[in-house]
Amino acid sequence: MKKEEMREISGNAQKDGAALKALLPAQDILCFHFADGAGRNAVCVFADALTDKDLLAEQVLRPFRAYAGGAQAEEVAAHLLSPEVRVQTSFQKLAEEVLAGNPVLLWDGGDAGIAAGTKKVPLRAVAEPPTDVAIKGPREGFVEDVKTNTALVRRRLKTGELRIEMLTVGRRTATAVALCWLEGTCRADIVERVKKKLAAVDIDGVPDSSYLVRFLADRPRSLIKQVGTTEKPDIFCAKLCEGRAGILTDGSPIALTLPYLLVEDFQSGEDYFVPAYRATFTRLLRLFALLVAIYLPAFYVAAQIFKLQLLPIRLLLTIAGSVRDIPLSPSLEMLLVLLVLEVLNEASIRMPKYVGMALSVVGALVLGETAVSAGFVSTPAIIIIAFSGIGLYAVPNLIEETSVLRLLMLLVAGSLGTYGIVLLSALVTVALTTTENYGVPLTAPFAPWIARDLKDSLIKSHLLSLEMRPAVLKSPNKRRLK
Amino acid sequence: MTLRPRQILFFLAAVAPVGKLVLLPAQLAGIAGNDLWMPALAHLLFQAALIFCVLLLARRERTVLSLIRACAGGGCAASFAVLYALFLLFCAFLPIVEQKVMVRSIFYDTIPAHLVFAPFFLFSAYLACRPLPALGRIWDILTPVSVVCLIGLFLLSAGSCDFGALAPAGAAGKAGFFAGTAAAFSRFSDAAFLLPLVGRFRYERGFAAKGVLCYLAGGGVLLLFLAVFYGVFGEIAPLQSLAFARVGAFFPARGVVGRIDYLFAFGLAFVMAFYAVLPVHGAVGLVCEAFGERKLLAPLLSAGVNAALFAAVYLLNFYTVTVVSLFSGTLFWVFPVFGALVPLLLALLLGRRRDRGGRRAE
Repeated sequence: MKKEEMREISGNAQKDGAALKALLPAQDILCFHFADGAGRNAVCVFADALTDKDLLAEQVLRPFRAYAGGAQAEEVAAHLLSPEVRVQTSFQKLAEEVLAGNPVLLWDGGDAGIAAGTKKVPLRAVAEPPTDVAIKGPREGFVEDVKTNTALVRRRLKTGELRIEMLTVGRRTATAVALCWLEGTCRADIVERVKKKLAAVDIDGVPDSSYLVRFLADRPRSLIKQVGTTEKPDIFCAKLCEGRAGILTDGSPIALTLPYLLVEDFQSGEDYFVPAYRATFTRLLRLFALLVAIYLPAFYVAAQIFKLQLLPIRLLLTIAGSVRDIPLSPSLEMLLVLLVLEVLNEASIRMPKYVGMALSVVGALVLGETAVSAGFVSTPAIIIIAFSGIGLYAVPNLIEETSVLRLLMLLVAGSLGTYGIVLLSALVTVALTTTENYGVPLTAPFAPWIARDLKDSLIKSHLLSLEMRPAVLKSPNKRRLK
Repeated sequence: MTLRPRQILFFLAAVAPVGKLVLLPAQLAGIAGNDLWMPALAHLLFQAALIFCVLLLARRERTVLSLIRACAGGGCAASFAVLYALFLLFCAFLPIVEQKVMVRSIFYDTIPAHLVFAPFFLFSAYLACRPLPALGRIWDILTPVSVVCLIGLFLLSAGSCDFGALAPAGAAGKAGFFAGTAAAFSRFSDAAFLLPLVGRFRYERGFAAKGVLCYLAGGGVLLLFLAVFYGVFGEIAPLQSLAFARVGAFFPARGVVGRIDYLFAFGLAFVMAFYAVLPVHGAVGLVCEAFGERKLLAPLLSAGVNAALFAAVYLLNFYTVTVVSLFSGTLFWVFPVFGALVPLLLALLLGRRRDRGGRRAE
């Protein structure tokens, strides 16, 4: 600890201001010297870009200039007009407040410093998240400011049972993290475990909530997703109501929810605003699309190399005609097309919007068309990869995991054939069914089979049938519909 | 308690019958002709009775080894564990050989490399050292897979099936029935597979009866499959050694949609892969329990056992017919002795529950 951090407040505004400035020598930390109504010297230390100067003047400086009462911190604090005032006695705490955007007031004869909540952070407006667009239902999305996000949650859950506990994570970034849960609905042991895991995080910085995922997962090195994510406050609140705990991270629009079930990613917020039969159909469609995305390229390769009988005879003849002059083996051809798709995908995300149009033309038309006419790849291979690529985006939250799985399936199909696909599927099944997070099996309600929870899984029952909260979460408050 | 009672029922109803669909139908058709269902029915009833005994033993809510330990001491329990584990590995051998034959035949049109089945042993080594809840949850997943695939195969084969081929019943005579029953012993060891699971699930009132009903329901599906199989192929059924991959091949739309029956066959192969690992898992679990160590011993033992099975399967690579006839013929008695007598004796000797006063009840 630095010498200045250990010093105590002397009651001399000049000296104390200098000590605080010594802790924060950066040029954007400013000191404003003035005198109060009794003629005492005072200094206000604040971070230039982070402080709302109008608010500072209106709520802190103007009342303090007119103040001529006692020098005790509590008395001064009572006189200020800011609704968020904290009395701090250590220089370290005062420095943290300044860095968080809260100006600090020091004056002659004072026994402590006062931090006022007049922070002003440049914010993005609340908008619809690009990853979770809804045709029906709320369109609000989380933003990067944790306070705005907690407000969005609080606006939806107007209950005293909603608990929000603010924690700080990251040695240098001191990122604010809001742990949210509904008291009496979320299991206490889950909340305790999350708190313990967050408290144990010892890392330089947490620039995004995805950093926390690795610390919160029971198997941090596993390829399997173990923490739920959402960008929408309505989904976040719905998950809290089911008995989960949620985590909002300052600087990240992606909220985390725990415990996570695999089936969550096949559901969308919109499923709850459309008729149950439609929601069921859409969920099954998503599953089908995902299975097609993973298995179609692999089965195509395996069928071509090892098991021609899988294909109908006319299709087989068409494919045979298309691949006759292709110099690459089916698996190599498929890998090449898959690689091109991944590169195009990566480039189109990173590229400026206006260049993206040109990229689509170059990628889809020029590359695809010329590659086929030049005889590098066959038309069926491009069709299959295109279909697989589209299918993968039917479940956007699982893209990272499923794209790896698709590649593995393809490699196994090319080397071991159809039996390789079956064995790899068996291995993945074992890995998925044995994964648990916070004592909740990832594959519930299918494995273990929980009949009651099937009502809102891949199938969506009518809202009036969903009387109970998911049994797998073991919520203390079991009934949600009376 | 690591398994849920429901998972045992799922296993009995939907996973156990699938393990008997590879070579058994053609073998029974070869021995008992149109009466192929009779030896199967006899085994199903016999196994159902044994399963009832084993599930009754589960009322004690202690594992078999702990019951033996309490009754006859640790040495006796350890010896039993090792011997019974060897028997389970013996039981596992034939299904694995069948799997190998199946893989080489139905998964490849071309002639595959001999080692194409080798990754199965890696999978088996991985699964055999997983804790029991993994197995239970997998049965939860396998049940719908098995049901959908069997229904699919039945639907595809219904059009080409002539149940008249099964008449007249009893044409094979007593000789056919007894020869078929003897040959089928090697495929019916479900009660023996359940023994290591005793004490790993909570016994509920009437669970033994439920277990028997589920097993018989699954057995009913097996009998229906045998009937459909013989109905489709008639007298050439003995030549159709991989029944489940052949039975749905003659549906009318095959020329248009291709061999979609293979998708159901692959689904059943997926289930069979887990069924074949079950005895290996039981063997590893028993030995680990006997020696009170799981964390290190289970992976080592699983790897060792699977390496040994791999060596045995590949050393006998060109003697598959001999292996099948050895297990179904010469060595068939091993199955009733260990697979039937041991569970029965254990149920009789250890199945009685002590009441609170220390007296024996029931």
